[in-house]
Amino acid sequence: MICCKECIDLLHDYLEGSLAQETRDALDEHFRECPPCIAFLNTYKSTSRLCRETLHQIEIPDEVRHTLQNFLKEHKIQQEGM
Amino acid sequence: MTFTQQKEDKEIEEALVKDFQAGNLDAYDKIAELYQQKIYALSFNLMRNQMDAQDVTQEVLLILFRKIHTFQGKSAFSSWVYRITLNACYMRMRSKKKEPNISIDELLPSFSGAGFQQEKIRDWSKSTESSLFTNETREVIKKAVDLLPEKEKVVFLLRDVEELSTEKVSGILDLTVPAVKSRLHRARLFLRKKLSGYFEEYGSPKGKI
Repeated sequence: MICCKECIDLLHDYLEGSLAQETRDALDEHFRECPPCIAFLNTYKSTSRLCRETLHQIEIPDEVRHTLQNFLKEHKIQQEGM
Repeated sequence: MTFTQQKEDKEIEEALVKDFQAGNLDAYDKIAELYQQKIYALSFNLMRNQMDAQDVTQEVLLILFRKIHTFQGKSAFSSWVYRITLNACYMRMRSKKKEPNISIDELLPSFSGAGFQQEKIRDWSKSTESSLFTNETREVIKKAVDLLPEKEKVVFLLRDVEELSTEKVSGILDLTVPAVKSRLHRARLFLRKKLSGYFEEYGSPKGKI
């Protein structure tokens, strides 16, 4: 059976589905017998999800949006005047 | 987004770029509108400063305007925009005094000589449902990402937050695919450890930190 370190080293490829079938089976077997690694896998997956949900919420604040709009407008006038 | 819609969006974008390269300024407005949110979000997540993110967004929009003729379509237009955005962020970050990076290795899991886990692992994944998701939690997450060393942070933002493919990130950063995978994995391990400290307390009877 593979050890926890090997299992955690392979987590990225395991989740991406890019492991050879034999290695994938070995990991599945490890997970069946190792609750700490299951906990690790679940929290590893949650980490990506939580960060994505949090950082995806970045919206351009209204004042920045106005500044950008004015900047683009001025710039366009300059270009058209050339 | 479906594959068909992605394909349609890509075709619309390619047509806009061609129109703009031919001198159509309305096409530029549409490109700016399509990209300013992406440019701002990536800059803000990387530098965590509204003023800097605004300046970078302006700078990138201007570069797109001035340098569009140099875009040859060898890579996707979006990759080109991301590359310009990252360069603008790096220039700005280098001109500021940087906090020393903490060693990422200290936050990787520790194992026994035989390769088995030594730490007690608690599964806090179920305690992160939306009902428990407070502003405080979001701040903890943002701070954890800020602590990532720059090399791992940029890969994490492009891959896990912007959800670009490994191959695309490899093209944008000029890194090999294994290097992207390795940096992403290290970033996730680092963040998992950081968030574990918070959520293990959060889910315990002692309550929040």
